[in-house]
Amino acid sequence: MQGTLELLILNTLARESMHGYGIVQRIHEAAEDLLKVEDGSLYPALYRMEERGWIKSEWGVSENNRRAKFYKLTRTGQKQLEAQRANWNRISKAVARILQAT
Amino acid sequence: MKSAIFNLLSRVNGNKISLDVEDELQFHVEMLERKYMQEGMRAADAQAAALRRFGNFQRVKKQCVEITRRSTLLRRFLKTSLILLGIAGLLISIGSSDYKVDRIGHVLIMIAITGRLLVYVRGLSPFTYLAGVKATSITDTSKNSSNLRKA
Repeated sequence: MQGTLELLILNTLARESMHGYGIVQRIHEAAEDLLKVEDGSLYPALYRMEERGWIKSEWGVSENNRRAKFYKLTRTGQKQLEAQRANWNRISKAVARILQAT
Repeated sequence: MKSAIFNLLSRVNGNKISLDVEDELQFHVEMLERKYMQEGMRAADAQAAALRRFGNFQRVKKQCVEITRRSTLLRRFLKTSLILLGIAGLLISIGSSDYKVDRIGHVLIMIAITGRLLVYVRGLSPFTYLAGVKATSITDTSKNSSNLRKA
């Protein structure tokens, strides 16, 4: 569904800053493999979100002492997350009502 | 001469962008390989599985490099435009004896200064502002959201 990947990324980064691999792992764990994200597809989404100012990145050192890029949410990203979360709740409620009614 | 220097700088910068993107993606693939090897796979199998799960490495790299370059170019254009606007405003303010024209100069300077501040403060670029205005919509311009599929 459109916008879902961005919402998942924003939600994951709301807890802590993470590198791309960490974000995908966290999404897989949280979704208990009900949703599958092709790992590579995450990166263009991350770059676009950074371009929009929702997240920002900086190079750091990973848990295995390797150079890695870490992403964190900006204030604009936090607002975006709240807006997208509210929208998602509204849409899912609406769809549930329609399914129940028919 | 100036254009040669500009081209050289663009190339150096372009290569840096490309190398950084590749390094980031490579890190992801290496982490996947590590995970699969910890789960008991042989090195060659783990590498193949990691690349399979990652998807098309070169395509992803190309997309990321393009987005970064586009973003950098836009930012440079914006900064240069604002500087030129500020200079124009300054020249008008200094050179004009007519009060009305002088005011136009001041307005231009104010626009340039405010614009530069917005560009400098992270998360407050004009693009971000526009994105914020559209925050009520969940629409995603991502071409890759179709990659999110139900298992």
